[in-house]
Amino acid sequence: MNVSSRRFANAVVLRVEGRLDQDTCAAFTTDLMKSVDTAAAEGGAVVLDLSGLEYISSAGLRCFMLASRQAKAQHAKIAVAALQPMVAEIFQISHFNLVFQVFPTVREALGAVSGDAAAAFEKG
Amino acid sequence: MLLAALSLFLLFAPAANTLRNVVFDGYQQLFPLERTTDPVAIVVIDEEAIAHYGQWPWPRTRIAELITRISQAQPASIGLDLFFSEPDRFSPAAMADEMPILPTNLAKALREMPSNDEQLAKAIEGRNVVLGIGTTSDVDPRFRGPPRAAPVVTSGAREAEMPNWPGYIGSLDVIDAAAAGHGLMNSGPQDQVVRVVPIVERIQGVIVPTLGVESVRVAEGVGLRLDDAPGGLLLLRLAGVSMPLQRDGTAWIRYSRHDESRMVSAFDVLSGKLDPERLRQKVVLVGVTGLGVLDHKSTPLGEFVPGVEIHAQIVENLVNGVALVRPTFATWIEGAVFILCGFVLIWFIPRLSALQGINLVVFLVLLLLCIGLVAFRHLHMLFDFAWPALGTVAVFGTVVVGTLSEAERQRRVLRDQAAHMAGEVDAARRIQMGLLPDPREALGNDRRFKLAALLEPARTVGGDFYDCFHIDSRRIFFVVADVSGKGLPAALFMASVKSHLKSAALRGGDVGEVLTRAQAEIARENPEQLFVTAFAAILDVPSGVIEFSSAGHEPPFVRTPRGAPERFEMPGGPPLCVVEDFVYAPSRRRLEPGEWICCVTDGATEAMNEQREFFGVERLRASLSWMPEDIDPANLVERLRDDVRRFAGDAEPADDITLLVLRWEGGAEAEA
Repeated sequence: MNVSSRRFANAVVLRVEGRLDQDTCAAFTTDLMKSVDTAAAEGGAVVLDLSGLEYISSAGLRCFMLASRQAKAQHAKIAVAALQPMVAEIFQISHFNLVFQVFPTVREALGAVSGDAAAAFEKG
Repeated sequence: MLLAALSLFLLFAPAANTLRNVVFDGYQQLFPLERTTDPVAIVVIDEEAIAHYGQWPWPRTRIAELITRISQAQPASIGLDLFFSEPDRFSPAAMADEMPILPTNLAKALREMPSNDEQLAKAIEGRNVVLGIGTTSDVDPRFRGPPRAAPVVTSGAREAEMPNWPGYIGSLDVIDAAAAGHGLMNSGPQDQVVRVVPIVERIQGVIVPTLGVESVRVAEGVGLRLDDAPGGLLLLRLAGVSMPLQRDGTAWIRYSRHDESRMVSAFDVLSGKLDPERLRQKVVLVGVTGLGVLDHKSTPLGEFVPGVEIHAQIVENLVNGVALVRPTFATWIEGAVFILCGFVLIWFIPRLSALQGINLVVFLVLLLLCIGLVAFRHLHMLFDFAWPALGTVAVFGTVVVGTLSEAERQRRVLRDQAAHMAGEVDAARRIQMGLLPDPREALGNDRRFKLAALLEPARTVGGDFYDCFHIDSRRIFFVVADVSGKGLPAALFMASVKSHLKSAALRGGDVGEVLTRAQAEIARENPEQLFVTAFAAILDVPSGVIEFSSAGHEPPFVRTPRGAPERFEMPGGPPLCVVEDFVYAPSRRRLEPGEWICCVTDGATEAMNEQREFFGVERLRASLSWMPEDIDPANLVERLRDDVRRFAGDAEPADDITLLVLRWEGGAEAEA
């Protein structure tokens, strides 16, 4: 799996590609937690762009859950966007929409978490 | 280890000498001395001269004529690689004695003529001629006194290590007295490569230089000095030149290639064909080569040259200051270099990759050989870095073997640890499997329903489980669950979740309350923040009413008789311990007699084949729809497991597969 990050104003968009399972989640957790810390420190938000995520196992879901809990504890915003059908179904079955705000696109997610970030995203 | 290598070296020191000679010869062959000056000419009494002037030995008058002719070219000195120990039998008086038939007056006249020896002495007299001396191990009765050698000024005591010969063979007194100097004719052993030659030796305590050196001395008209020099060496000095010597008065000769341009045939000299310029102001050495290979020597350059040429090379070494020495500290430096290389290897090899290690060794060996060559070429010192290089390679081998065996040992330890760990994981796995009930034992033999379950463990211990038990006389509870993650944490958590679910179920309430209550209990003991998906249900056996709820679990399939498998849609909620205050709501359905419900974990739907495709919900649906209508649940779970296995092929199962099938056969009718 592969994680790349882009900034839009005070929001970080983490694009997650590949498969998030037991073997890959430890490294991803570290990355994700760092982004949440940064977002919390700046009063910003983290948006997970899952358009490249093919599969997520329960270990991967747990990693998302931990990030969400930390974000909640630190008053940072976190949202997921652009789920592929398989991941969307896993989210639906797991009711992870109770854990995250889920948006069809990154743009909508940014719009929901931060006006500045959405403006920055529109610009380019 | 270094000590071992060092003692091995000492043990093989004799063999090392052979190796050293190979190395030194290699140096000589790589860089033979370029002749830049031409201080020596060699007059050879060769086959052509012998063919013209009769067989050897020649009458001394002929030699006198040769010397006279040479001296007309004004050489600096003439060194004869010859001695004249017996009276010449071609002397006129000797002829008279040989031939008694001669008329008396003729015999008398012959006897009154000067002897050939006197004529030679006359030719030698005042012409800077050096005569040869051969050393002997016994005192020769003809040469009892010490040789007439020019005095050598010495300081220090080391010259005492030079060989001291008891006897020698020189020339008749009349000839000897006319000579300007005396030089040793010994030009090294006959049957070996001549690397080291004696430069000065002693005869009856008198220091005698070798022929070439003595010829230079006579040419310069000065005396020789012999002093101690640093490094356990001697320094031979005369006029403006000097030559370092080993303690025994020998020196390693730096050879140039055989060069015909310094050779002059005695025939050319005697027949007056010689250009005098070829001898003018040079040290002229005279030797015999026309006697086959009697006095020929092998050089390190692989050439076979007359002994007199060795003397010429000594002269060139002396005049050009290029003679080689091997100081006594050379061995210590070689030893130190070896130990240094050894330490470098012992330090670096275990820290480098194999390829880097080999590169390091090759680099060290090349470096040593280069240092040796530089010392040879520019310092005129002989360092033998072949054995340190070999030693370095040997140390490398030892270190590599050591490193390998250490790696092997570590691997064994790791393997033992892994085996031990695997043993514990297996034990955990057995305990976990032991926690799972056998449905028939747990539920008894009730003809109104059939329940079968199966847990196919993955290689690593996982967090799947199922459970089923009676809540009371009418109702049974069953659950299929999957803890997030894998390994021992998941297995331990699974055990805790299972017992909490069971106690929550036994406390009564609908299935939603059971899940809500269990979640509260589990969340209190969940430091790792694991979560668990679960499908839980309570079946009222007589009525066939099933009450169920899902905590983020894969929806089960149901199939009515004559129907197709359908996914059980329900509101449910997130996995237990994700949203800790979530309240789970139950859903209800009345089963038809013969209807069955199949619960799975994601180990089944997410089983992967070698192309990394998932088994998936649709394949599960297809597999279930192929099952016969009246199939026994025990049979169904096995066939479904086989379908998943067949799909996965040789791909290793990533997760546990848990299957639970309940079939309601009907209530009262079946009981009756």
